[in-house]
Amino acid sequence: MDDLVAGAQRACDAAMQAGAHFADVSAYRGTSLSVTLENGAIKSSDAHESCGVSVRAFYGGGQGWYHGDGIDMEAAAEAGQVAAALARQADPDPDFVSLPEPADYEEVEGLFDAAVAGLSIGRLIEHSLANVDAALSVESDAIVAGGAGAGSYETALVNSLGVVAAGSGSSVSCFSRVAIRRGDEVGMFYDFDYGRRLDDFDPQGLGARAAEEAAKFLGARDIETKDLPVVFGPLASRGALMSIASNANAESVQRNRSFMVGKLGEQVASEIVTLVDDPLIPGGMASRGYDGEGTARRRLTLVENGVLQTYLHDSYTAGKAGVKSTGHSTRGGIAPSNVNPVLGDKTADEIIKEVHEGLYINAGGVHPNSVTGDFSSSIDFAFKIENGELAYPVKKGAMGGNIIELLKGIDAISSDCREEPGSIMPTVRCRRARIAGGA
Amino acid sequence: MKELAEWVRDEAMKRGVQFADARIVESAHTSMSRQDGKTDRLSQGTSVGIGVRVLLEGAWGFASTNSLTREDLRKCLEGAMEMAKASGARVAEPGVVAEVEPLTAEVVSDFTIDPREVGVDRKMEVVRQLESVAVDRVGPHLANSTAHYGDSVTRVIVCNTLGACVDQTQVRTSAGVGITAIKDDVRQRGYEHRNGLAGFELAEGIDPEEVSVKAADTALMLLDARRAPAGNFPVVLHPSIVGIFIHEALGHNAEADHVIAKDSIIEGKLGRQIASQLINVIDDSTIEGSWGSYEYDSEGTPGGRCVIIENGVLKGFMHSLETAAKMGVAPNGSARAQGASSPPVVRMSNTIVSPGESTLDELVKDIDLGVLLEGGQWGYVLCVKGQYTCHAGWGRMIRNGELAEPIRDVTMSGTILDTLKNVDAVSKDFEMLPKGGMCGKAGQGMYVNGGGPYVRVSELVVGGQEQV
Repeated sequence: MDDLVAGAQRACDAAMQAGAHFADVSAYRGTSLSVTLENGAIKSSDAHESCGVSVRAFYGGGQGWYHGDGIDMEAAAEAGQVAAALARQADPDPDFVSLPEPADYEEVEGLFDAAVAGLSIGRLIEHSLANVDAALSVESDAIVAGGAGAGSYETALVNSLGVVAAGSGSSVSCFSRVAIRRGDEVGMFYDFDYGRRLDDFDPQGLGARAAEEAAKFLGARDIETKDLPVVFGPLASRGALMSIASNANAESVQRNRSFMVGKLGEQVASEIVTLVDDPLIPGGMASRGYDGEGTARRRLTLVENGVLQTYLHDSYTAGKAGVKSTGHSTRGGIAPSNVNPVLGDKTADEIIKEVHEGLYINAGGVHPNSVTGDFSSSIDFAFKIENGELAYPVKKGAMGGNIIELLKGIDAISSDCREEPGSIMPTVRCRRARIAGGA
Repeated sequence: MKELAEWVRDEAMKRGVQFADARIVESAHTSMSRQDGKTDRLSQGTSVGIGVRVLLEGAWGFASTNSLTREDLRKCLEGAMEMAKASGARVAEPGVVAEVEPLTAEVVSDFTIDPREVGVDRKMEVVRQLESVAVDRVGPHLANSTAHYGDSVTRVIVCNTLGACVDQTQVRTSAGVGITAIKDDVRQRGYEHRNGLAGFELAEGIDPEEVSVKAADTALMLLDARRAPAGNFPVVLHPSIVGIFIHEALGHNAEADHVIAKDSIIEGKLGRQIASQLINVIDDSTIEGSWGSYEYDSEGTPGGRCVIIENGVLKGFMHSLETAAKMGVAPNGSARAQGASSPPVVRMSNTIVSPGESTLDELVKDIDLGVLLEGGQWGYVLCVKGQYTCHAGWGRMIRNGELAEPIRDVTMSGTILDTLKNVDAVSKDFEMLPKGGMCGKAGQGMYVNGGGPYVRVSELVVGGQEQV
């Protein structure tokens, strides 16, 4: 990692020597292995390694960026010079104040596991094939696809005010997708597991679960077009709730192209919704003690009892707004970290049992328009709820509404949930959405 | 560079592989973004890397690196071999590759103005003008304006153990503008861009009246448009969404790797009527200057024109060297890779519905209540399930046989086998989109484009927010 820090520092110094007013540099190196399965067998096994440097230079607030592969001193110096030259040609931006100053960062545990970095392709293949066999033992003619991957990386971040941050990370994942054909009908579903640490990784049972669920999706029927309560299962609720977090983007709000303009201190979800953004969760997939620009990160409450508490800032938007950066820079953009809801007090089963007629979404996204907040989403994996039971799978359909109206209509969040490193995924019920069906 | 690719290939042959290819990709790009009157972000980048594929005793391995020293190239090859040996743990059908006449070629895509020779300030002027015309048009309703420009020059050298060695350089350019308009606390955005397999002349030749004015007018129109209805309706698809529609509703299922993997809903249907007789679909990588075009694919096979559906009958699939061998047909140059670190995968290029015989009026007049959808923005497909989704940027209600009030952005969804049979009219117009997009598959993005006439589908689910 020392060579990454040295290369990043060289690039930063070169940018400043070439006349930049500010500069930051990110250097990285990574390796990964993966196996891809199709129709129950191995399609390919792959190995990757790469390294690179990214320089961002500022001149009068205008930015010049350069991305290259070389992390040696000569390549780094050239990268810095090119970025500075581009910055000098960019239009100035008087709203730019400064890059972050050095700060103390929280140490976050569990971001790198040598056991994950050392996983062999053979081990990944074993996991994947075990899941194929498990799926086939549930349904012997299932079409099983899937894969597994593991990787590790080192990064260094340096800026012209003295920020120097370096670290390493690892990740491992496995997934199974099962399809069962009966004539022209297909039942299909998937399952997955992932983590940064081997202790958080449990690929056993994915294949069997995916096959069991896939079978339930046979016999799908068209539904009528009507307004219905919608229950988002653990794989679907995250997307709906995250759309508030990803759209609480201060840049989009300041630029007046977001449905979240004017929503600070306003109700953006029902009173039972509290969302916490926590970048310090040990082993969390989006965890790190500092953001993309080197601002120290901390846990914050994004939505409390349905009311938006803050926008997500980087140093630029914070400078414009006269506030402190919330540590959400991706260095060029803004994104939330690990965003999780506070759980409720009824189980998922209890929540479903209370629904006389509705829709249960097993998986699929909501995708609101970032300017208007309106969404129009395809129903990909869902069941019709009738008399408190999941009655039959839905053949096709779509769901329309406005994301804030949908979330204001949340009337239950489950006490039980699916957990992945950094994420808790409960079942969430919304009073109403407009459902379009094929019947 | 070529010597390095040849050296890796030769080393692979010495190690007794069944097949191997070495693909070096070298690329340089420039881009810039402008927002609210300032082009304050300029970016350049270069990258180089190699991807090595090996087929050993019927099993595939792949490795990539962005270091091209001999030492690292050798390690990369050995990595690919180690991966192939590991893949041997379970191979259902041994991998094979079509035996083709080895080709040697060195080509550069057409351009008039090399973007590498154009100064940054001239590119900034393009972006400034695109934004300025749009801002003037939207007037007092302006909330935010953005504009961008980008160009890339990518050289790919692929050498394989069949003896092929193809050196292909491609130049691509794009530019666009977005306007967010506001009225009474309602915001809407319009966006237009142009791109192609072309040089700087594409960007400098953009008529701001077409692109900037259109982006602004779309935003203004959407401010007053109603939300789309929810339900099952007859739908007329404008050419600007037909490309995405056929890409998602058919194209991915006709990629032969999906068929072989039993991932395709049209598996086993070659030669059968799978669509209305009015449907004719081709995938054509030879369309001059189109964003999705190329001369050779990432395996060094010449691209071409692939007839997928003719009068509703499934005629063929898009192939790689392996899928062609497995299906006993000639390869048709559809294996593409995003970069050195990705192996080639069967992809589309420019996917087109051929024009028919009707007029737009004839398509519309039969509809009592339905929608016309325009401005395809994105889509996706669950291939094995046979279900696809497309998102339209805007449209019109159709009432009593006439185009009526404008509607806002909305998603439509359908099942593939039903939709293809439910196409009941195709117009005689044809529009090849002057702006392609990026298709995602197997974790890789790829340049694609589409085009077609107006197409009417007798019923599709439209996921609007309003009752009719």
